[in-house]
Amino acid sequence: MSVVRRFSASSLAIWIVLAAGAFLSLFPFFWMVVGTTLNPNDVIRGVVLPGDELGSNWAKAIKNYRLGLFFLNSLKIALLTVFFGLVVNSLAAFGFEKYKSKARERVFGILLLTLIIPSIALVIPQFRLFAFFKMLNSHAAIVLPSVMSVFIIFFMRQNFKMFPTEIIEAARVDGAGELGIFLRIVAPSMKASFASVAIYIFLSQWNSYLWPLMTVLTEAKKTLPIALASMMNAYTIEYGALMIIVCISVMPVLVLFLAMQKQFVAGLLGSVK
Amino acid sequence: MNKRGSYYRYLNRFGWLCVGPAMLLFCIFMLYPILSSLYYVTRKWKGSTDSFVGLGNFARMFRDSYFFQALGHNFLYMAVQIPLMIFLALMLAVILNQGIKRLRGTLRTIYFLPCVTSLVATSVLFKILFQTNGLLNNIMIGLGAISEPIGWLTSPFWANVTIIFAMTWRWTGYNMVFFLVGLQSIDTEIYEAAEVDGAGKARQFFRITLPLLTPVILFSAVASTSNTMQLFDEPNVLTTGGGPANATMTAALYIYRQAFVINSDFGYATTLSYVVVLIAGVFAYVQMRLLGGKRGS
Repeated sequence: MSVVRRFSASSLAIWIVLAAGAFLSLFPFFWMVVGTTLNPNDVIRGVVLPGDELGSNWAKAIKNYRLGLFFLNSLKIALLTVFFGLVVNSLAAFGFEKYKSKARERVFGILLLTLIIPSIALVIPQFRLFAFFKMLNSHAAIVLPSVMSVFIIFFMRQNFKMFPTEIIEAARVDGAGELGIFLRIVAPSMKASFASVAIYIFLSQWNSYLWPLMTVLTEAKKTLPIALASMMNAYTIEYGALMIIVCISVMPVLVLFLAMQKQFVAGLLGSVK
Repeated sequence: MNKRGSYYRYLNRFGWLCVGPAMLLFCIFMLYPILSSLYYVTRKWKGSTDSFVGLGNFARMFRDSYFFQALGHNFLYMAVQIPLMIFLALMLAVILNQGIKRLRGTLRTIYFLPCVTSLVATSVLFKILFQTNGLLNNIMIGLGAISEPIGWLTSPFWANVTIIFAMTWRWTGYNMVFFLVGLQSIDTEIYEAAEVDGAGKARQFFRITLPLLTPVILFSAVASTSNTMQLFDEPNVLTTGGGPANATMTAALYIYRQAFVINSDFGYATTLSYVVVLIAGVFAYVQMRLLGGKRGS
C-alpha cells in the first residue's frame, strides 16, 4: 500500500514541482559562481560550464574597479548602521514599553502613522537637507537616515512586552540603576531578538540602492550595489570583473543567512505576530 | 507621597532619555522632510534657482500622461505578479506542510534564499541571463520551445514579463514561509474530523485551509502591494531606467528621474511623490479595514 502511494502519479507531480522550484531558486546563484570563471563572451552567451578566467577576472576586478574599497565601504556602512540602529532603537523600544506615559504613547502613535509613508516620498527632502549641510557624498549621509527605524522600534517593543516587569522592579529594590537594568538584565536576556534585528538591519543596508544612488557622487564612496549599477551603465561592460563583484555582493549575505537562519526566520515571524 | 512623586518623575525622565535619541533622528530625518516637502510642492526648479508656482505642480501633474502611465505599470504588477506569487507560495507551502518531513527544512531554506540577496546584484544576473543572445533564449531554442530568440529586455511586452518573473523569483519563498507558519498553526484534528466526515483533500483545502489562512494571505498581499507601489531597483537596473520605451517605468523611478536624471526639479518630483503617499494611505486604510474586520468575525 505505502509503496504504491509513494510512487503514485500525484506524488511524482509534487516532487517535480518541488524540484523545479529548488532549481529555479538556486540556478542563478550557481551560474553566478560559474560566471566568475568565464571570459566576457561566454558570460554573455551564458555558458554553464566553468572556464579558466577566474584569476584574470579577479585581477581586473581589483585593479580596474577597486573591488576591495567598495567591499569595505559596504561593510563599514552596514556595520555602523547595525551598531547605532541596535542602540537607538532598542533603547527607544525599552523606553516606550517599560516607562509608559500618556505623552510617550502619543509620540509612539505618531511614529506608527509614518510607517505608511513610502521611502520615495522622503528621500527628496532628505537629499535637500544633506545638500544644504554640504554632507552629500559622505558615508554619514548613508548611515544617519537609516539608524532610526519605526518598524524596528515597533518590533522590539513587541519583544520587550514579553520581558516580565516584576524582574525590573525586583532589580530596582536591589538598588540597580535604570540603565544598569537595561544593559545587564534586560538586554542579555533578549539576545535572540537583538540578533534578528541586527541581521535585518545589516541586510537592508548592505543591499540598499536608492538612497546611496542619490548621495554617492564619487568612485571612492561607492558601495557594492552602486558600483555594480554604474558598471552596467558604462559604455563597455567588463563582464568578467562584473561577475566577481556580483559574487562578492551576494556571497557574504548567503553565508550569513545560512549560518544564522534560525534568528533570521525568528525575526521574520516575530513581525507577523 | 512627595518622595514617590519625585521617584515617578525620575522614571519618567529616564523614559524620555531612552526614546530621546530616536526622537531626535525622527525629527531630523522624518518630520523635517515631511514638513519641508509642503514647501517644495509649491516650488519649481529651473537650473539651480527655484521659484514659487503655487499649485502649478499639481496642474502639471494632471497633464503628465507619462506619470500616469508609470503608475499604471505599478498597478499592472500588483494585479498580475501578486496573485501569481501568492498562488505559487501557497502551493509550495501546502505541499511542504503535507508529508514531506525529511526535506522540508532544506527546501524552505532554498526557496527563501533569493529574498536575502542584493536586488541590484540579482538584477544584474537576470539582465545577463535574459539578454537576447543570452542563456535563457539559448536553452529555449535548444529545447525547441521557440525558433526565434525572445526580446526579454528589448520588447515592451516581454520586458514586463521579465520584471514580473524577477519579482516572483525573489519573493515567492519569502511569502511561502509566512504561509507555512500559518499552516502549522492549524490544528490537525480539524483535518482528521473532516476525513472522518468523508471530505476529500480538495474539499478540505477550500473549506478548512483557505479560510483559516485568509488573514495571513491578506497580510502578505498588503505587504506586497506596498512594496510594489515603491518598485524601483528592478526597472532601474534590470530594464535600464524603465525601458524599453518606458514600458517598465514605475512611479518611484519616474519621480527619481524627475529629480536626478532628466531635470533637477525637486518641486515637481515631490509633488508626484504626494500621489504615491496618497495611494499608499488608501491601501493602508483598506488593509486596516480588512484585517480588523476579519478579527471581529
